[in-house]
Amino acid sequence: MNDLRRLASAFAVMLYSMLILIPIGLATQRLILVTGPNPYDWTKSLSENYISQNVLEFTLVQAVSSTLLTIIISLPIAWYLGRHRWPFESLIRTVLTLPFVIPSIIAAMGILTIVGPYGLDIRTNENTWWWTLIISHAWFNMALIIRFCEPLLSKLDPALEEQLRLLPHGRTRASRFKNLWVPLLLPSVVAAACMTFVFSFTSFALVRWITVRDNTLESVMAEVSSSAGIQGYMEPTSDIVMGASLIQFTILLTSLWLTSVIQRDRKAILPQARPEHVRKPNSPGWLVIVPALIFAVLPLISVVIGSFRIRDLGESGAGFRWGTDGWNQAYHGSFSFAPMSEAILNSLGYAAITILVALPLGYALASTINDLEKRSPNLARLLDVFTMLPFALSAAMVGLGVLLGIIKLDVSSAYQFWALPSLAHIMLTTPFVVRIMLPAIRSLDNSYDENARVLGMGEFSRFIKIKIPLLKGSIIISSIFVIAMSLGEFGASFIVAKNSDWTTMPLLIDAWRAKPMKDPLSAPASNAVATVLMLITMGLFMFAERFRNNRDGGMF
Amino acid sequence: MATHRPDLGNASGGSEMRNTNKNEKSPKIANMVIVILLLTIPLSGCVGDTENDRELVIVTYDVYALTDEVIEEFENETGISVTILKLNDAGSILDYLIQHQGREDVDLAIGMDNNFLGTAIEFDLLAESDVNQVGIRNDALGPYSGPLATPFDMGYVCLNYDTEQVDGENLTVPTSLWNLTEEEWRGKVALPSPVTSSPGRAFMLATLDYFDWEDGNDEFTSWWTAMKDNDVIITSGWSEAYETHYTGGYGEWTEGYIGDAHITVSYCHSPGVESWYNENWTKSASLDLPKTSFLQVEYAAAVNGGNIETASEFINYLISPEVNSLMPTENLMYSVLEGQDLPEENGYLLNSVIPQQPSQISMNDISENIELWLEEWNSAMTSGE
Repeated sequence: MNDLRRLASAFAVMLYSMLILIPIGLATQRLILVTGPNPYDWTKSLSENYISQNVLEFTLVQAVSSTLLTIIISLPIAWYLGRHRWPFESLIRTVLTLPFVIPSIIAAMGILTIVGPYGLDIRTNENTWWWTLIISHAWFNMALIIRFCEPLLSKLDPALEEQLRLLPHGRTRASRFKNLWVPLLLPSVVAAACMTFVFSFTSFALVRWITVRDNTLESVMAEVSSSAGIQGYMEPTSDIVMGASLIQFTILLTSLWLTSVIQRDRKAILPQARPEHVRKPNSPGWLVIVPALIFAVLPLISVVIGSFRIRDLGESGAGFRWGTDGWNQAYHGSFSFAPMSEAILNSLGYAAITILVALPLGYALASTINDLEKRSPNLARLLDVFTMLPFALSAAMVGLGVLLGIIKLDVSSAYQFWALPSLAHIMLTTPFVVRIMLPAIRSLDNSYDENARVLGMGEFSRFIKIKIPLLKGSIIISSIFVIAMSLGEFGASFIVAKNSDWTTMPLLIDAWRAKPMKDPLSAPASNAVATVLMLITMGLFMFAERFRNNRDGGMF
Repeated sequence: MATHRPDLGNASGGSEMRNTNKNEKSPKIANMVIVILLLTIPLSGCVGDTENDRELVIVTYDVYALTDEVIEEFENETGISVTILKLNDAGSILDYLIQHQGREDVDLAIGMDNNFLGTAIEFDLLAESDVNQVGIRNDALGPYSGPLATPFDMGYVCLNYDTEQVDGENLTVPTSLWNLTEEEWRGKVALPSPVTSSPGRAFMLATLDYFDWEDGNDEFTSWWTAMKDNDVIITSGWSEAYETHYTGGYGEWTEGYIGDAHITVSYCHSPGVESWYNENWTKSASLDLPKTSFLQVEYAAAVNGGNIETASEFINYLISPEVNSLMPTENLMYSVLEGQDLPEENGYLLNSVIPQQPSQISMNDISENIELWLEEWNSAMTSGE
């Protein structure tokens, strides 16, 4: 690696470290001034405060349950999708993985519409809240199982299975499943399960809206964030934040380290064949694929329906009528609610800043990890986990870090700086760029670069004219994901931007829904904004799907 | 499906490049446009951001009085441009002011009540405003009558119950707070949290007086522990308790309704509001037990460091007869002006109760002891876990 690349790598690592560590460090310092430095006191405070009691148990149990249900629902889908041929296959795959990129606040609105009084009408029964949450998490995360498993299933050379059929341990379907498919799929399933666990563990919007009185560590941090870090005022909230952060960080870091190890070890070379040889048509498989498709789109359709359906109190009681009043309300806004156009512009602005920083930074970090893997594998692994740190920190912690950290620097200028939420978005999206770019960089054929070097092309020219074109697909996918994630980011923005004059689309959705429900237009207006955000996100995702390459083996 | 055929650009040789140059001009121009758009979109947040001394930034929560019509009329009359920062509840307003102390771009805080005001004054968050408080009734000025905050509405916080459920057969009308700790009330009482909700805090303060906190006994904590053991529903705010859980109000017509509580904390005039909206019918009633209700006064206060002039203009507007007389119908609270009362139409006044013996805890006692009381409440709610 020459000096220029070393310099670029060092700069990228340093910048990323500063982005992550400075706000978090400042916030931690401010909180410790209130709580004291004893981690035992922090964690003990969770059980000593009413608002945070049983939060850890609830978070763990719902995350584990969500992970198990996600695997149960998604594995059959991945199996049939991967092992058989389907008409409109690309569209089916896109629809089934769409839930993952849909912002969780939209999922929450759609699911509330389904379980509410004009849907299944099960909301009044407390016993349904738990299952609604778990099923929502499964809906949200099923794309992970499908993405991780389907490429392997669709390209594994059928000769392996045919050979096993001849052997004593492969004569029955069950034995082939146990001796071939389980060992092959287990790493992918475990890696996907770890990520599902991480996303379910840090769930905020779905927990906030679907459960009525429960909190995860993430949502309780968000709820108490407004009074954290103030000496002599509501000091227990600072203890709750530190305790929840420490526990969440430890559990998530462990999960992410495990994912990293498994993903790296998934590079094992397996005999592959063209999908046309591997996959056969399967009519009974429609019994799995069709319900899966319905499951995937139902919350999204209900958001759109909910934007036109308005509660109407007539003489015979509560009913509803159809109209565009909710759209009108959302479009025009009021003194208390920004117009939709303002939220869209803010969201697009933050997304633009985020991608301008996260994309090159993420690429540089991925490139650095790849270079280090050849020379110093342990350091590479360390850097790999370090880049995933914002996952372990979670959106609420990042938001709190940005809020308290920047306040510590300058309380006034921080809140006159419109782009402040972008800092949180950059911290949260850069790891995704690394996760997408790293497998692509790993799979680059270096011979192109080496030949160009032999022919006298300079480092920068080779980067622009060889590496970038070869990585074009992954770059576009990264860009789309960064934009989609920034547009849909809720947890960090809830803390940073909610108390400012700059609303984003997810915050506007939440604000409309949280308005006391005497106003029959609250829910339709919320769903209207959610519909717009959903359509933008779907458009971006479907565009990105054209560039996805199964062979990369990446998460996305 | 992405192709794996790499575009090698100049490395592929000159002739191919010359032939494709023309076709590449349009994509290059398009790419340039996209880059320019991406670079300029961040500036969209700055468009229209001009210096204007006649601005007013209000931090508040869902105060019904601040309708669009009220704000627009103020803007038209004064030429002051109003921006509203809407937070969750009264507690959030105090959190916000403390957290962002030192800022100069928030001018007016509307919605803190006499339970939160003392702490705001203690933290030196408020500024003296130039407001004419003549004409404000004495009981509104009772908790606080200084220049740092002006009352704009008031009401008595008390328990409300659903008369269709609490009818003597299904459930018995409580004659003591201890009745709510009995088995028949298990899981059927919804109370807003005193940590975050101003009515919730008012009710908690009432229970302190009800159980004679000055005597130093532990009945206060015992009762709350018993309520916790009896599965009391604690919500973050009033609207969640009233709309989502309470069966006696309008909640059953809302989409988030659950309806598992038959008694909740609201205002002694809330049944009057229900009757007014339902054209002289309500199934909700106020429970007027001695020392279980608490006078809540809500304030508008200029924020230290903000624009006191525009803040004062808005406060004067808010307590003007034209605006404040509409409090019962627009804000569903009592006006603070003398000579004003609830309307008689549709049973509003008839179904509203003025408690005979409300709790009495001074604002000074509240600001001195609130942290301790909240800790005791917290200990009571977590004891035995």
